[in-house]
Amino acid sequence: MVATLVQLIINGLLLGGIYALISIGLTLIFGVVEIINFAHGEFLMLSMYASFWLFQLYGVDPYLSLFMVIPAFFVIGWATQRIIIQPIIHAPPLNQIFATVGVSMVLQNAALFFWKADYRTVRTAYSTLSLKTGGLMISFPRLVAFVLALLIIAALLIFLKQTYTGKAIRALAQEKRAAMLMGIDIYRMYRIAFGIGIACVGAAGAILIPIYYAFPTVGALFVLIAFVVVILGGYNSLVGALIGGLIIGLVEAFSGFFLSPHLKEAVYFVIFIFILLLRPVGLFGRA
Amino acid sequence: MDMSLNVMKSSWNPFHPRFYFPLALVVFLFILPILPQKTYYQDLILMIFFWGTLAAAWNLVGGFAGQISLGHTAFFGIGAYTSTLLWLEFGLSPWLGMFAGAGLAILVAIGIGVPCFRLRSHFFALATIAFAEVLRYVASYWRGLTQGGVGLLIPFRPALGSFMFHGKLPYAYIALGLMLLIILVSAIIRNSRFGFYLVSLREDQDAAETLGVNTSRCKLIALIISVFFTAVVGTFYAQYLLFIDPDSVFSLPFSIELALLTIIGGLGTVIGPIIGSFILTPLDVLLRGWLGGISAGLNFIVYGIVLVVAVIYFPRGIAGWLKTWYEPLLNRLPGSKLAFAPGGTASSPPYTTRATNPGNPDPPDEQITAPLFKAQSLTKYFGGLAAVKDVSFEINQGEILGLIGPNGAGKTTIFNAITGFLSPDSGRIEFRGKEITDLKPPHKVCLTHIGRTFQLVKPFNNMTVLENVMVGTFSRVRGAKGAREEAIKVLDFIGLLKQRDSLASSLTIADRKRLELGRALATKPELLLLDEVVAGLNPRETEEIIKIIRAISQQGITLFIIEHVMKAIMTLSHRIIVLHHGEMIAEGTPEEISRDKRVIDAYLGEEYLA
Repeated sequence: MVATLVQLIINGLLLGGIYALISIGLTLIFGVVEIINFAHGEFLMLSMYASFWLFQLYGVDPYLSLFMVIPAFFVIGWATQRIIIQPIIHAPPLNQIFATVGVSMVLQNAALFFWKADYRTVRTAYSTLSLKTGGLMISFPRLVAFVLALLIIAALLIFLKQTYTGKAIRALAQEKRAAMLMGIDIYRMYRIAFGIGIACVGAAGAILIPIYYAFPTVGALFVLIAFVVVILGGYNSLVGALIGGLIIGLVEAFSGFFLSPHLKEAVYFVIFIFILLLRPVGLFGRA
Repeated sequence: MDMSLNVMKSSWNPFHPRFYFPLALVVFLFILPILPQKTYYQDLILMIFFWGTLAAAWNLVGGFAGQISLGHTAFFGIGAYTSTLLWLEFGLSPWLGMFAGAGLAILVAIGIGVPCFRLRSHFFALATIAFAEVLRYVASYWRGLTQGGVGLLIPFRPALGSFMFHGKLPYAYIALGLMLLIILVSAIIRNSRFGFYLVSLREDQDAAETLGVNTSRCKLIALIISVFFTAVVGTFYAQYLLFIDPDSVFSLPFSIELALLTIIGGLGTVIGPIIGSFILTPLDVLLRGWLGGISAGLNFIVYGIVLVVAVIYFPRGIAGWLKTWYEPLLNRLPGSKLAFAPGGTASSPPYTTRATNPGNPDPPDEQITAPLFKAQSLTKYFGGLAAVKDVSFEINQGEILGLIGPNGAGKTTIFNAITGFLSPDSGRIEFRGKEITDLKPPHKVCLTHIGRTFQLVKPFNNMTVLENVMVGTFSRVRGAKGAREEAIKVLDFIGLLKQRDSLASSLTIADRKRLELGRALATKPELLLLDEVVAGLNPRETEEIIKIIRAISQQGITLFIIEHVMKAIMTLSHRIIVLHHGEMIAEGTPEEISRDKRVIDAYLGEEYLA
């Protein structure tokens, strides 16, 4: 029983690392640009396909494809901010919500159009590899995914703490006007923040493809989890997104084992609703 | 004389285009379903009515009240499943099941709405998605009840009682009836107090509250009406297709489509969603026909692009644009020269500032000899910082009390504590001898006849000046006609009558301050709290506002004023209290205050004496 519990904790945490990486991009975008990117899941889906095709067509290992996916998705995020969000940055929430909802519709259905509804995954030499110690089994690609996710998150946090651009982005998230008065080009920072947020979710897609399937609506599945994580962690706290991701990973592992894998979504939403009711700023958010 | 003020009359001239043109449109709608021979086109017309009704229902919440629901599919699904299950299991006629479904959907909506309406707009949208997803899981996994993903098939047994008919026409007319009903409901709401309240809370919730709008209740009522129609149409859908499954009635794209139709047609307008349906539903059918053959999903790509382009470049939709030629068209039609509403256009007699008494409260209670307002030992902490510490003061009937102090002294905190935006940590607030210390939310305070303005003015930008003030007058006049008349008096009094039909967003800063004042005055306060109404104005504008404030005072309204402009506060106030670091450091007449050593040190500065 103890072994089972430990196994569940490991499974949950490994899963939670990826959830954290997806959610941290969403949190960064919300914290800085003050919009919820309803197309976030579709960017995940795109990057999963990107890694898939890089592997399928050119034999690029998914982990190696990170080096292409991250810069490419930064540019995609940058462009999305510039072309779609920037014109409506001062518009009412409705316009902002439906702008990203529209992007999500286009991307999801474009994927359906170009790549059909087939489930696609990458079979590598290490896909089924796992480490076995003391009755525990740790899937190698899941472990790699977890480590990479944490490394990327750590790099992001260091970037935000140490560099001028990072500090400017944090300043902007705290007080827009003061940031402007300090000579920060806020529109440029919005583009960078959006770019980084999308690069994060892009990276998540690349490290997810060895352990999961790509299909046109895969993003919708993960983005709902990311929403729960963001609400749980506090929508303006990056550390909250990290911890929230790990918690949701654990919840999924445990509810899958003790209840039913089918009910895990229902469990997320119950958490979601309780957080909204009891602590709308999340566990680590500030009011 | 402005026509817009006088169109609401009981007897209409049937030969005026304003009457016969809309009537002709309705007649056209009734003929429309029998025009085509092919059932394909009958189905198309039916779907236009179907989507128009749903979009108009969504518009009540998303457009008028500005609460963006992405979960309306949940209510549609509840309506469809409830009536279908009641019919299949118990043989209950779907006509009755329809109301059972609507009732259940309303209960769920209340359960969702009460907690979620507290959330900021983006999160409200998110929460509604989550709730709709939960219901989809319930429908998918509660197989014993819903047969899960297999769906429910309704055996075709045509009869009136079973809500099943041969051919499409009966369904088309039911859908048309629903659509006309929701248009009527929307039109009534738009021109009523409730409609004004919804738009005002969409534009600025805090400002709406201070004008006496119970924003939570208004949002909930709008949601209930919207959900009722959505669930009823859900039953209609089940009876028309005779098959439902979780993926078709609980789908996110469904919720988005309602918004899309409304945005394209014209958000927050009565006919916008209908126009949206008339344009997009045929487009949808065509696209499915043309593109669906090539590949699934291509029509949604087009929708997505249309949606993005629309919210970025055409957020006002088609209805906003139609408006610009609807009136000229009416004027060109025969009969436009006739008087539309016989009975004349009796204009309200001209008012002068002196002659009017718009803000005059009910005559004060004879027995009240105690001060009108009393604050005792008010204390409010933010974290460890005392914003207001042990502050006590009184305001007498008819007095003008000034409140001054350096920035951060706690002045606005006191206003917020009085008007129900904050609860003081300790202390007691009394108004007309009644305790109102923890009276919340702010609309309740407004209804006790305490009004306020905000330091940073909060106009309802997308309402006209007149409509802004009407939100205030509605707190004491129920009917739109009376509220309009009262509002005009107020506008005349504050000198904004000429701008009454301009959008509030187009006003200058000085006029916005007047509007803020006028709106508060429109609620007929006995005590009016003014937060820096002359800040940022030039000397001439300041002079004019001071005149208005004096006139307000002469009507017997008690005033409590925060101000940094010394000339204004010193000439206006009968008495002044001074705050410094949250504590009251002085109280007295303007002369006493200006000589008080501590006040000079803390606030006025040495040069003030010179």
